[in-house]
Amino acid sequence: MKTVLSVEQIRELIPHRWPFLLLDRVVELKPGDMGVGLKNVTVSEPFFEGHFPRESIMPGVLIVEALAQLTAVVYGTKALQSMQENDEIAATTVENDEFVIDRHVDISSRVGYLVAIKEMKFLKTVVPGDQLRLKVKIGKKFGVLSQVKVAAYVARECVARGALTVSERPDGDKDTR
Amino acid sequence: MDMLTYEETKEQALKRKELTERLKELIVERLDLDIEPELITDDQPIFGRGLGLDSIDALELFVAIEDEFNVTVFDDNIEVFSSINKLADYIVENQEE
Repeated sequence: MKTVLSVEQIRELIPHRWPFLLLDRVVELKPGDMGVGLKNVTVSEPFFEGHFPRESIMPGVLIVEALAQLTAVVYGTKALQSMQENDEIAATTVENDEFVIDRHVDISSRVGYLVAIKEMKFLKTVVPGDQLRLKVKIGKKFGVLSQVKVAAYVARECVARGALTVSERPDGDKDTR
Repeated sequence: MDMLTYEETKEQALKRKELTERLKELIVERLDLDIEPELITDDQPIFGRGLGLDSIDALELFVAIEDEFNVTVFDDNIEVFSSINKLADYIVENQEE
C-alpha cells in the first residue's frame, strides 16, 4: 500500500499530538474531496488503561476522532493546494504526487472544528491488534459547514460509519510563522 | 398578465398549500423537531428566534431541499431560509418544470 502522507507529514498538517494523534498514515488522498488513512491500534494506547481494565476496547468516540483528524488532513491539503495556486507560498509543492510542506507555513493552525456527529453506528468492537482503515468523503457544503461521510473498517469489515459536520475556521487565519 | 379563472386560481392555491405543507413536514422530519408541522406558520422566521434553528440545521435543510426539489440554495442567498413562504417562492421560481 502506497504511503501518500507519512506521520511526519500528517504532523505538519494537523495540530494533534500524542496521546491524541490518532492517524498513522494516509494511503489515498484527493485534497478537499476524500481520503483513506490507517490507524494501528496497540495495547499501549493510554486509553486502554481505563477502557476497560479487564477488557480493552477502543472507545467509539475515538474512532470518530480519528475520522475527524483524517477529514482535517483532507481539508488542510486542499488549503495548501489553493495557497500554492495563488502563489502564496512557492515553497509548498506537489512533487510526484508527494506533498512537500514548507515548515514556515503553519497549515495546522487552520484546522476547523467538529460541529455535528450524525447517525453514527458502531458495528463491531475495535481491540488491540486491529488496523483501522479510515475513509472520509466530503459531501455538500453550505456556508462554512460541510457534511462528511465517514466509515472505518477492520479487515474489510465495517466497524463504524456515519456522517460528521465540520466547520472551516471562521477567521481563516492567514498568518505564516 | 391574463386574469386567472376561478378554477386556475383555486388550483394554484392548492398547489401552494401542498408545497408549504411539504416544506413544514420536511423541516420537522429532517431536523428532528419536536413539534407538529402544522404548528409552523407560513411567515414565521425559521431560524433564530422563530423555530430556533441554527447554522447546522441550515446545512441540513439545504441538503433536504436539494434532495427533495432539486433546487440549490446558494449560501450568499440565505434570506431564502427566512420563512416558509420565502422558501416556497424560491423553490417555485427555481424548479425546472
